[in-house]
Amino acid sequence: MSGGPATGALTAAAERVSFESLLWISACLALTLLVGIATLPVWVTLTVAAAAGIRLVQAARGQDAPPRGIRFLIGALAIGLLFLQFRTFNGLSAGSALLSLIAGLKLLETRTRRDIYVITMIIYFLSLAALLEGESFWLLSYLIGVCWLTTSTLLRLTSSARNSDWSGSVRHAGRILAQALPLAVAFWLFFPRFGGPLWQMPDSGSNATSGLSDSMSPGDINNLAMSDEVAFRVRFKAGSGTPPPQERYWRGPVLHDFDGHAWRRTESAPVVAPGLRFQGPAYRYTVSLEPSQHNWIFVLDWPSRWDAERAYLTSDYMLMEPNPLSQPLDVAATSYSHVQAAQPLGPGMRRRDTHVHAGRNPRSLRLAQELRSAHPDDPGYIDAVLEMFHSEPFFYTLTPPRLAADPVDGFLFDTKRGFCGHYASAFATLMRAAGIPARVVTGYQGGTYNRFADYWILRQSDAHAWDEVWIEGSGWVRVDPTAAIAPERVEHGLNDMVTAGAAQFSRWQQRTPWFADLRLRLDALRLLWRERILRFDQSSQERLLELLHIPEPDGQKLALVLAACLSLGMTWLTWQVRRELKIRPRDPLQRAYERLCRRLGSVGCERKPAEGPEAYAARVSRLRPDLAEPVMALCREYSALRYGAGAGAAAGTGATAADTNRFSSAVRRFRPRGSRGSS
Amino acid sequence: MIVNRRRIYIIPTRFGIALALLLVAMLIAGLNYNSNLGLAFGFLMVSLALVAMHHCHRNLLNLSVDAIVEVDAFAGDYANFEILLRNEAGIDRCDLEIRMDAAAGHAASGVSTALVSVAARGYQHGAVSVPVARRGVTRLERFELRTRYPFGWFRAWTYVHSPLTAFVAPRPGGERALPSASAAVGTAAQSEVRGDEDFAGLRAYEAGVPLKHMAWKVLARGGEPAVRSYTGLAAEPEWLDWAALHSLGAEARLSQLCRWVLSSEAAQRAYGLRIPGTEITPSRGPAHRSACLRALARYPSEPGHMSVEPAA
Repeated sequence: MSGGPATGALTAAAERVSFESLLWISACLALTLLVGIATLPVWVTLTVAAAAGIRLVQAARGQDAPPRGIRFLIGALAIGLLFLQFRTFNGLSAGSALLSLIAGLKLLETRTRRDIYVITMIIYFLSLAALLEGESFWLLSYLIGVCWLTTSTLLRLTSSARNSDWSGSVRHAGRILAQALPLAVAFWLFFPRFGGPLWQMPDSGSNATSGLSDSMSPGDINNLAMSDEVAFRVRFKAGSGTPPPQERYWRGPVLHDFDGHAWRRTESAPVVAPGLRFQGPAYRYTVSLEPSQHNWIFVLDWPSRWDAERAYLTSDYMLMEPNPLSQPLDVAATSYSHVQAAQPLGPGMRRRDTHVHAGRNPRSLRLAQELRSAHPDDPGYIDAVLEMFHSEPFFYTLTPPRLAADPVDGFLFDTKRGFCGHYASAFATLMRAAGIPARVVTGYQGGTYNRFADYWILRQSDAHAWDEVWIEGSGWVRVDPTAAIAPERVEHGLNDMVTAGAAQFSRWQQRTPWFADLRLRLDALRLLWRERILRFDQSSQERLLELLHIPEPDGQKLALVLAACLSLGMTWLTWQVRRELKIRPRDPLQRAYERLCRRLGSVGCERKPAEGPEAYAARVSRLRPDLAEPVMALCREYSALRYGAGAGAAAGTGATAADTNRFSSAVRRFRPRGSRGSS
Repeated sequence: MIVNRRRIYIIPTRFGIALALLLVAMLIAGLNYNSNLGLAFGFLMVSLALVAMHHCHRNLLNLSVDAIVEVDAFAGDYANFEILLRNEAGIDRCDLEIRMDAAAGHAASGVSTALVSVAARGYQHGAVSVPVARRGVTRLERFELRTRYPFGWFRAWTYVHSPLTAFVAPRPGGERALPSASAAVGTAAQSEVRGDEDFAGLRAYEAGVPLKHMAWKVLARGGEPAVRSYTGLAAEPEWLDWAALHSLGAEARLSQLCRWVLSSEAAQRAYGLRIPGTEITPSRGPAHRSACLRALARYPSEPGHMSVEPAA
């Protein structure tokens, strides 16, 4: 009769956090912070790591958290320092840094379950914050994995789990997470999206600068050409044709200022109307740009419409974003391959685009004067220059010799070897020296067609430079001097502008076509992810509802579908969760017998709890003489199968599978009708 | 009793409410940044919470609860209720908390709990020690079964309506010697008590005889069940009499009687109990001892002395 005052102590012990849990929650926090480690101030990372380390060492020694005063001091100091650094706690990067810091400090004082709960919530929110700016499938998978582990840690806090192993907890948490998936999909598909932000957040502290490639001296393009990475992908809309290869020029920065050595871009004023008359077929397409340090959007020559909200067109027909593309961007645009200028070239622009640096490249200037005297008309002069590139021994190479102070002279008269940048630069110089307005356009040309998903991949290795000259009466006309080189003098294919290592790689690819196919297929998946998942929006939801044959989809119908899906999901969940509660006998014979008893019960002859089959059959026969025969037979068979000593079965053999099957199908056929009173 | 679906209540815990606020914030952030991945993560967390709610509810569902409904205790000590939880389902039931409110008036303080987990197709005992401060008969009309499994975001609970009675005997007390000790000559009484161990012969079995007195060998030889009898059984029974303690107050008398019951039982001699309104004929053994203690517990208390007596 003597009890123990154990209960109070028991709960206090249950609230206490074990070393193991502390270790796991620290690991989960570390995995979460790993995602944002690049943007997090280094001292924040170090503080969190130190806090975790100190607490873990203490816990391993069985010590308690550091005293309150010290914790408070550290906390106040760290948060003050953070404010000094960011000047705000608003916005994603400052907020994430603050939360990370709080999580670390919380870890330092973790003693009870309560503290762990707080940390798990911070982990959940930090994961979300990472996803707000990230867009990769792997990031999502990784963070769901971290969430899984964090949730397993929560499960470990229950006392019953403490005695079992970790893998069991992780499995169980995984099962719960898997059950949550269908519901999450329904939410995601049908939760109404509001096209724009609810309110504007301050821009995240991305201090990437544009201007790296606002200049071109042939070395820069060479660097660009090194890389095999994807610059953007293009999908031409259904019903819109694909331009022929000679028109697949993707317009990037336009360069005007030439100091004799390097071409530079000058800021061009934004214009409202393109000032062009569009002719010929329209190409409608979506450009999916990868993040970059720059803020230009690559579009097909010549853009007429685009749907990027903040993008603007400059007077030299570049499509620009106000900020560098820190995130992938999709732009739907329309372009025409043939245009005619609506206005004459302004005097300011003419001056800028005919300017040559007097003291530089003297031999080229002389050459221009000679040619110009022979060809006073502009088209004739342009053809003469192109003919020179074609007939004289100019070579196309990715590894041109270094050029001295006057690179155009050096290229035209000495080395005669170069890549697109050299040709574009030399051509534009010759044009300007003859008084023809000319500018260099950089961008991408060509591309790889992905036949598995019908789109084009433009890689950094597709980077190109060409020229535009002003022809009175038609406007700016594209001229690609690189294309004028005689094919036999191209040392590497134009579409093969890659470094030695990558070149080897691509030769290897050519020999194993399935490998190239695999690469294309993977790339197709990447685009699919981007189009179907990342860009899922109101119009996608509209199409989804149309697919479900719901006429005139709107927000309310969407909400109704969501509600229907959720109630369906909850019902499924209830069923799923309770299914495991059902007590189902494993033994088929037992199941069949229970079915028999249920059927007899439904006509008013319930089996009593301790009634054997034979006694039950006898009672049923008394109650329902009409059922006597089949019930007697079935019950006798059951006891024969069950106990192996009945009248019909050979003693000792027991039930074989075939006998059991026969019995259960006999039970299934047996359907008693009517109630007790009917006979 | 089997825990019914309709009798399970569920609400979010403090952490559940905090999580809900967090989820709302997550979804708003996802919508604001127009981030489909952020929304996907947010919705996954929302669904996880909903599934966790179902699991919390399920943790109690169809659990079979049986309690030992009558328990003996002493005032100032604990009444130990034992509760049997049976789980016929194929899933483990984790972290079930059995909670009992200490009955009004008898409460030393607050709530007593026990934490139990029941494996699939298994059973488990949970012992709850409820502090009982005062003598009397304490009735608990119901107790609570609650769980915060799996993640502590929700708390599901159910009330098990099974009246539990604790017979709280007075705290053993008083300095007085047993009546027989004062009446009999010391050495004679001593030898008589020791004679308790002497085997005197066999007598016919009757229900309620202590198992250790059974003559198993006789039974094993095929004979009728028999009981070994001892000389001690034949000794003069002790009368523990309320009237013999006339100089004490009612509660003091009850305490003294309680001590006498315990020491007589320990000395393995027959004793009877006489209190106003109740007379228990002399006997011995656990059943007799319990009957005596319950009679002491049931004795109506004086006005002003708080005691809860059931209506019956």
